[in-house]
Amino acid sequence: MTDDAEAVSSAPAAARYLAPGDVGLVAPRDFAHAGPFAFRGGQVLPGFTLRYETYGELNAARDNAIVICHALSGDHHCAGWHSPDDRKPGWWNNLIGPGKAVDTRRFFVVCANVLGGCQGSTGPSSLNPGTGRPYGAAFPPVTIPDMVRAQRLLLDHLGVAAVHAVIGGSMGGMLALQFAIEYPRLVRRVLAMATTGRESAQAIAFNEVGRQAIMQDPAWNRGNYALGEGPRVGLAIARMMAHITYLSDASMDRKFGRRKRRAAEVEASAFDVQFEVEGYLRHQGQSFINRFDANTYLYITRALDQFDLEETAGSLEAAFAPVEAETLIVGFTSDWLFPPEQNRALALALLRAGKRATYAELATDLGHDSFLLESEELYGLVRGFLDRPGTPVT
Amino acid sequence: MEKRTVDMQIIGDWVEPGNRVLDLGCGQGDLLAYLMQTKGVAAVGVDLDFSRIAACVRRGVSAYQGDMTTLMRAFPERHFDRVICSRTVQELAEPKAVILEALRVGRALTVGFVNHGFWKNRVAMLLGGRKVRNEVYTTAWFESRPANPVTIADFEDFCAAHGIRVVRRAHLAGNWRDPCPLLPNLLAGYALYDLTRA
Repeated sequence: MTDDAEAVSSAPAAARYLAPGDVGLVAPRDFAHAGPFAFRGGQVLPGFTLRYETYGELNAARDNAIVICHALSGDHHCAGWHSPDDRKPGWWNNLIGPGKAVDTRRFFVVCANVLGGCQGSTGPSSLNPGTGRPYGAAFPPVTIPDMVRAQRLLLDHLGVAAVHAVIGGSMGGMLALQFAIEYPRLVRRVLAMATTGRESAQAIAFNEVGRQAIMQDPAWNRGNYALGEGPRVGLAIARMMAHITYLSDASMDRKFGRRKRRAAEVEASAFDVQFEVEGYLRHQGQSFINRFDANTYLYITRALDQFDLEETAGSLEAAFAPVEAETLIVGFTSDWLFPPEQNRALALALLRAGKRATYAELATDLGHDSFLLESEELYGLVRGFLDRPGTPVT
Repeated sequence: MEKRTVDMQIIGDWVEPGNRVLDLGCGQGDLLAYLMQTKGVAAVGVDLDFSRIAACVRRGVSAYQGDMTTLMRAFPERHFDRVICSRTVQELAEPKAVILEALRVGRALTVGFVNHGFWKNRVAMLLGGRKVRNEVYTTAWFESRPANPVTIADFEDFCAAHGIRVVRRAHLAGNWRDPCPLLPNLLAGYALYDLTRA
């Protein structure tokens, strides 16, 4: 997911968080699970922490929770502002808030940084209590189902009895689907956008190039580096490359075209930044290394590559057999990372399995990141899906 | 609106409670919502248009945005108890392919269409010498979607030629309400067919 998908508001900085429809100032919290946690791969952590945010109130029936699942580079901060000085709100602020499509006056919204993440949840950059140093490459391989099982423990901790909906795009869509498979009695609705039941060779290939950029950087040092250090060059290149896959030819052309930096800004060398798009990507790479851990990038891209509902269950229909939730899959025409075809395949398999599933497709030219689009059509679709009184889970 | 009600009722009469039903060209899900309410069917619709799919979502009707033939090809034989093709058949690019595919994925197929052979259409064409325009055919030729106007006689011939068994037929008069037992190709305004593979 790109950093700039959320438009920066033009309102005066001091007042933006007070805007109507905004959840306002929010603060993350930590959920510490004290018991041992066994990963799919068999390794066990003595406990873990998930950093999360909530907006809205859990109702008396404890059944109005909406779980938001973030994508590869996202985090728990999906709406509101951490401080009045923040440059940008949470990454899905356009969708979530009082009166918005995910209406925090009605719903109790929960969003956690995934297990294996680096924004406050336990991951490779967390300190290994055994050694007093970051886990690094000694962190257990994490899978999408592991992330979901950890979030289930958070929901139990919060007292959530039923989840009104799980919503996510890209990797968040995988998590949402996995939630419905793993916890059919808990989850009433699933809204998965720009996602897939398993990555294509192309998507795995892009992830591999990103991983190689990190691992070929000497500072990676087989995953052993101190906090705040590490393969900054490799991670920046991985991010630059991945960033391209979240956009589209048309959207990049509209945003940058062949525009060049003014001569005064162009530096001496022929290979310094000349085109706007170069400067943009370099900036994306640089800002990413200040907020993201390279080992987490390796672990989570691996989790994405290995996610394969078909292989795990024998077929997509078999994978979806336990699902009780109503499902809405949304594809975007210009998404070439997880293209419409892969989203359609999910909806068709759900329907073959006899489930209530809908496939909707939005014509956009913004590429994979279209799920973050500011679009009344998308808002209306989401609102319609969430608002309808559903069949009670028995 | 009233005209709509009668053919919905007949379509509903041919559906068994709890059937798994596919509606080809489901629009905003009016028919499926009605069948879910009255017959408790497990419904899914297919339509090309995003806003219609969004309308289906709002009323709780499962729907697939995309091409109906592509959708049907993704299902095994006889997956659906009934496929419904109501007021869609004359706008299809390949009606034959759709009907045969519907009879593969469905145990039964309902087809409902406006009878282009209805006498008023014939008279209008004969006397006016222009594209028929009336309550049913509302648009001029240049703003119409591609259409294959079909008559009852055409449709009967098609079924016979392709080994399709007509289980039931309902021919409705020009008001689309009263039965029309006599000379349906001339006197019926609307026709409904309940079909299976022979």
